[in-house]
Amino acid sequence: MTAPMTARLARELAAAVDELRRMTVQVRTRGPAGAGVVWDSEGSNGSALVVTNAHVLRGDQATIELSDGTVARAQVVARDAKRDLAALEFEPPRELLFAVVRDSPPLRLGEVVIAIGHPGGLVGAATLGIIHRVEQEREAGAPRWIRADVRLAPGFSGGPLADTTGRLVGVNTMMQGSLALAVPAAEVEAWVRRSHTPVAR
Amino acid sequence: MSTVLQSLSTELADAVQSAGRAVVAIQARRRIPASGVHWRPGVIVATHHTISRDENITVTLPDGTTVPASLAGRDPSTDLAALKLVGQSFPTPSIRLDTPPKVGELVIALGRPGPSLTASWGVVSRVDGPWRTWQGAEIDSLLRLDLAIYDGFSGGPLIDGAGRVLGINTSALARGVPVTIPGATVERIVTELLERGTIRRAYLGIGTQRVRVPESLARKLELQGDVALLIVSLEPGGPADRDGLLLGDVLLEIEGAVVSDPADILAKLGGDRVGRPLTARVIRGGQMKTLQVTPGERPKSRAA
Repeated sequence: MTAPMTARLARELAAAVDELRRMTVQVRTRGPAGAGVVWDSEGSNGSALVVTNAHVLRGDQATIELSDGTVARAQVVARDAKRDLAALEFEPPRELLFAVVRDSPPLRLGEVVIAIGHPGGLVGAATLGIIHRVEQEREAGAPRWIRADVRLAPGFSGGPLADTTGRLVGVNTMMQGSLALAVPAAEVEAWVRRSHTPVAR
Repeated sequence: MSTVLQSLSTELADAVQSAGRAVVAIQARRRIPASGVHWRPGVIVATHHTISRDENITVTLPDGTTVPASLAGRDPSTDLAALKLVGQSFPTPSIRLDTPPKVGELVIALGRPGPSLTASWGVVSRVDGPWRTWQGAEIDSLLRLDLAIYDGFSGGPLIDGAGRVLGINTSALARGVPVTIPGATVERIVTELLERGTIRRAYLGIGTQRVRVPESLARKLELQGDVALLIVSLEPGGPADRDGLLLGDVLLEIEGAVVSDPADILAKLGGDRVGRPLTARVIRGGQMKTLQVTPGERPKSRAA
């Protein structure tokens, strides 16, 4: 039996995961590594920016390991414990592939999403799921989350949740039962713009 | 670039959107609302175990409006309930009855545990043949699922990749394992609930245990098999007691069909058997004996 569609699906999925892995880094301080998303390379003096969860970091310094194994020292330049976001700056050893935020169209319920992380030291693990809930209305002041039916594990924190075209839809932040909660990418983008003032060197 | 993957994503979202127009939230318990499906115009199907009261039930429609609903009937043994809505018009889903789901088929469970619709995906992990709940209800082919259960799972629909409803989900029929009551069973139960408000089931009032008939006796009586059912309990004044069955009788056949498992008896006890005599063959004192037993209507919440 030939299954051309399944074979194509498998190939395309592998390619999408491969691309996402290249924009996903390991963020290490003390304890187990978390994940981070290469945000852009328009920092001061050509430095690159990585976004991760605040809870992944201990202290103001971290070691970033890129998908090709290159290691760099990074400095925390912004942190918001309440929204659980942090931004780090580092000198990129080479040209980096960075995340492209999906501004539109809006997320649809049932849409396929991919999460990348490093559960239990397994670097660049991928998991597939669908959007579980799209909030219609929310209580004033309540944090906005993207809820996905994606099985995460510790080590996915700070990593990307992306759509099937590889565009970033959120930063994976926590698990609620078997549900993944991610900070919406648009909100991360606004937070970075607001809080990131390049470090003077 | 990645066209099959993107099409899959779009088709799943389309399926969710189309079937989601018929998924409602039901407020009939203390905790968070449960889900229901607008199965036929004006009729909502839900799960029995998520409806803890018979009055003051409200339903939140896909457009966000909340309206009162009345309970048309419930069947604890299949965990199904039917509610009626008056004067509401919104879509009913397309229900897939012609092609049974296959093991490995990609499916989505929808729920509405509040104003927002929810979705989780997985595969059908097992399709059981005709299956009986512990209370004796027959479910045509229970679907066991490999997917995560979230709030609002019970009472929501299981849909295929084209948005067609395969059945009603519940977490209460198989010890918390997510299962789906297939559309054909839902149709049958809902029809009867709307007509009568309850599901009639015949019962005999016996408890049985499988036994092996000694070879010599089996030969002497020219039995077809050597496994039969020993009557180990008899409800005093129940249908079997009334009609002369005794403790220690070994039940061989009902209506000419060999019974070698308690489920074989249940298979002969559909709702239409109430009050209609059955022919039973038993071994009593080493002799074959034929009796007439008339099943009664099973009182609520009693097994066997």
